Amino acid sequence: MAFEPQRQGSSSNGYPGDQQSLRLRRVSTQVSNQNAPQFNWTSTPAEKDEKGSSGPRELRSIPMPMALKRAVRQVQQMQVPVVSSVDSWKRKKTRFLLKLKEDVTGFLVFFTPWRKSLQKIGGNFGGGVHSYFLFLRFLVVLNFVSFLLIAGFVLIPSIVFRSVGSGLVNSTAPENCTKYDPNPQGLVVFYTYLLDVLSGTGFMEYSYLFYGYYNNTVVEDSNFSYNIPLAYVFTAAFYFAFCLICITARMGTAARVAVATGGSTVGSYSMIVFTVWNYSCLGDGNTRLKQKNIHYRLQVDLEEERIKKQAAALTLRQKLFLYTLRVFMGVVAFGLIIGAFWCISLASNFSQQNSGKEGIQGLFFQYLPSIVITTANFVVPLLCDQIAVREQYAPSTTVIVALLRAVFLRLVSLAVLLFTLWSQITCYTNSEECKLCQYNYQKYPCWETRVGQEMYKLTLFDLLINIAVLVLVEFPRRIVVDHWSSKLAQWVGRQEFVVPSNVLGLVYGQTVVWTGALFCPLLPGINAIKFVILFYCKKVTLFYNCQPPLKTFRSTTSAFFFLVVLLFGWGLATLVMIYSLAAIHPSMACGPFRFFPSIWSIVPTSFYMLSKTSQEFLFFIGSQAFSVPLFVLSCVVMFYFIALCSVYGKNVALLRAQLKLEGRDKQFLVKQIAELSQKLQIPKHNEEIED
Amino acid sequence: MGNKQTIFTDEQLDAYQDCTFFTRKEILRLHSRYHELAPHLVPMDYTNDPECKLPLALIVNMPELKENPFRNRIIESFSEDGQGNLSFNEFVDMFSVLSEMAPRELKAIYAFKIYDFNVDNYLCKEDLEKTLNKLTKEELTPEEVELVCEKAIEEADLDGDNKLSFADFENMISRAPDFLSTFHIRI
Repeated sequence: MAFEPQRQGSSSNGYPGDQQSLRLRRVSTQVSNQNAPQFNWTSTPAEKDEKGSSGPRELRSIPMPMALKRAVRQVQQMQVPVVSSVDSWKRKKTRFLLKLKEDVTGFLVFFTPWRKSLQKIGGNFGGGVHSYFLFLRFLVVLNFVSFLLIAGFVLIPSIVFRSVGSGLVNSTAPENCTKYDPNPQGLVVFYTYLLDVLSGTGFMEYSYLFYGYYNNTVVEDSNFSYNIPLAYVFTAAFYFAFCLICITARMGTAARVAVATGGSTVGSYSMIVFTVWNYSCLGDGNTRLKQKNIHYRLQVDLEEERIKKQAAALTLRQKLFLYTLRVFMGVVAFGLIIGAFWCISLASNFSQQNSGKEGIQGLFFQYLPSIVITTANFVVPLLCDQIAVREQYAPSTTVIVALLRAVFLRLVSLAVLLFTLWSQITCYTNSEECKLCQYNYQKYPCWETRVGQEMYKLTLFDLLINIAVLVLVEFPRRIVVDHWSSKLAQWVGRQEFVVPSNVLGLVYGQTVVWTGALFCPLLPGINAIKFVILFYCKKVTLFYNCQPPLKTFRSTTSAFFFLVVLLFGWGLATLVMIYSLAAIHPSMACGPFRFFPSIWSIVPTSFYMLSKTSQEFLFFIGSQAFSVPLFVLSCVVMFYFIALCSVYGKNVALLRAQLKLEGRDKQFLVKQIAELSQKLQIPKHNEEIED
Repeated sequence: MGNKQTIFTDEQLDAYQDCTFFTRKEILRLHSRYHELAPHLVPMDYTNDPECKLPLALIVNMPELKENPFRNRIIESFSEDGQGNLSFNEFVDMFSVLSEMAPRELKAIYAFKIYDFNVDNYLCKEDLEKTLNKLTKEELTPEEVELVCEKAIEEADLDGDNKLSFADFENMISRAPDFLSTFHIRI
């Protein structure tokens, strides 16, 4: 709230100017509006003393010329000995903290790579594209830090303690369930290695990449013990919590801006005129396109107004027709999406049945679900766009509806794939095969590795498709458009960087990684590398193939929107993880949990191995005597913040209304004074004539 | 730490740090950019505060300002003589206000100054028309320009005098979510 004193300062400066103007008014009879409150540029330093001892740093926010500011600072410096020791200590402390903050931000530059590139992108392509690349950088850093976490707690101890340590639990299990032999037999053809890298089978299957390679070793030394399965579970849980905290923190900063400005109203011409030109744009000859952009935007707003007027003027019969049309189109769109889900489910089943095939055909069958998902995610939004045109919503509503449909399609298609997979593993339809080991041991001797492989394939396929589209579609398109001057080429035009669908691609990729992290521990690291490659590919295509966007995409609310969609993906992945941890029996042939009834059951087992006091302490935390007061306390705190929020909101609304009223009051008073002075003047004039 | 620079005294750098939103490194970088504009005019040694002003024509050629339709008005708003001649103090002040750490209120004050073409402390219809024409390079028809200006004044004018005073402007800007990110020059 540091700006409040200044606000008082500036508005109180307006009023002395007002009194001067009233004096002037008595002299002249001219009714002019020059005397309405103006900002007093020569604001004196005197008012700053009212604000208290926060002197030095407030200087920068004052609109004085620099020479004046430096003079004021010198005066302030000379005043310092007069200030009390407490104040000077406070001042020294703030200076020290600020210096520390500057040093830390200098260090954190390491975590914000590609600054110059982002600057260039923002300058040339505007806020929407810039926010996409910011989002991508955030995901890269998140994945990299998660990989460090997993490597530190799971991978490195596994490597170090591979030969040391003993199995945690040895129990008897039916012999058929423990048969698992992932290593290929005999001679293998050379290209099998490439196929194996692409699909995670063969030599890659029994490696640190997948769940199946980790052992349930427990290392116990005299003063050191490390329980790898427990570390595995806790690292996975902490990874999800860590991602949630990062996303929420980032959402907080984005939300603060969005809430403070109260959202944006479409058709707000004054805002467009004064805030549309991006001062940080670097031109490079794109100014003409930017001006076209602004022109387009104003036209869109004028168009929206026209549509609103039209919609308000519809007769009842036309309205009825429009609504039935919208409902019908909505049903058609929904039907398309359901059709896509059904195709994905079919493809997934088919792929699992034919997974034993060799060679290129085998690879094709392995990648079939990914192919179907990608095709559906490409075709269905196109059709939905066509449907949206028929629905005749206002342009801004159309954008939102299309986005929501695309998000729904992406996330739920992934959910359908996972559901199909899980129903096969747990024999949802045919329970014969699962009687022996409680999971389908014949097809999936090590089902966690198979799930990990699916996620690995989805990730890899996503990257390959992006690169393929770049090389086979975008570059040729630009070459054709640039060198072939026909009407068709001009109509097709250069590629435009469509922000929403690209962001959804990122969210999809990250959701896949979250889902697969439990079964493929190195997946976050692979994803970090994938996103880095994607960054450079998208940057290249942006600068070589794309033109600046014709339609703008709001950058401040969009940052918030991306994070909300990412949170949906996180929610889906959490559901999957909870289900896998608690409900399905881990495979008995591989992995760190091979002799446990469920993955989660290692926690209670280890819990009872703790010392008595620790057990009692943890029981106490979980008991009602502790958790109910804690819950009540957090509710109270939450309601306090909600109340504070609403009070501030009301305050802001009141101040705005007051501002309006005062402006009108001033106008009214000025008119009154003009009338009065005229009345006073006319009798005087008559007296003069009589004299 | 590092190599000792002789362009500014430590006292001067502290003063600049307190009066702007830049760190020491950034101020030194700004000085080198200022120097680049006119290597023969700008001295490398600022320890005794030399009187050196660069004309508008030189500053307007900076890549950050070259393509901006309001470049002349920006430079004029920050120059003391109103003609666009900037000393180093004013140069740093300009980029400090346009940096990303400057608060909204400060930016609003200077944005108002910039868009006020006839410098009468009000944004009247002519100011708005000039702004719009510079933005769209005169692609809009005169009727559209008229319509947009009327609507803009109608939306933002609180005291009903058909022009925007600073209070009106600031009230309108406080509701614009993009203002902070667009009114920003990276240097």
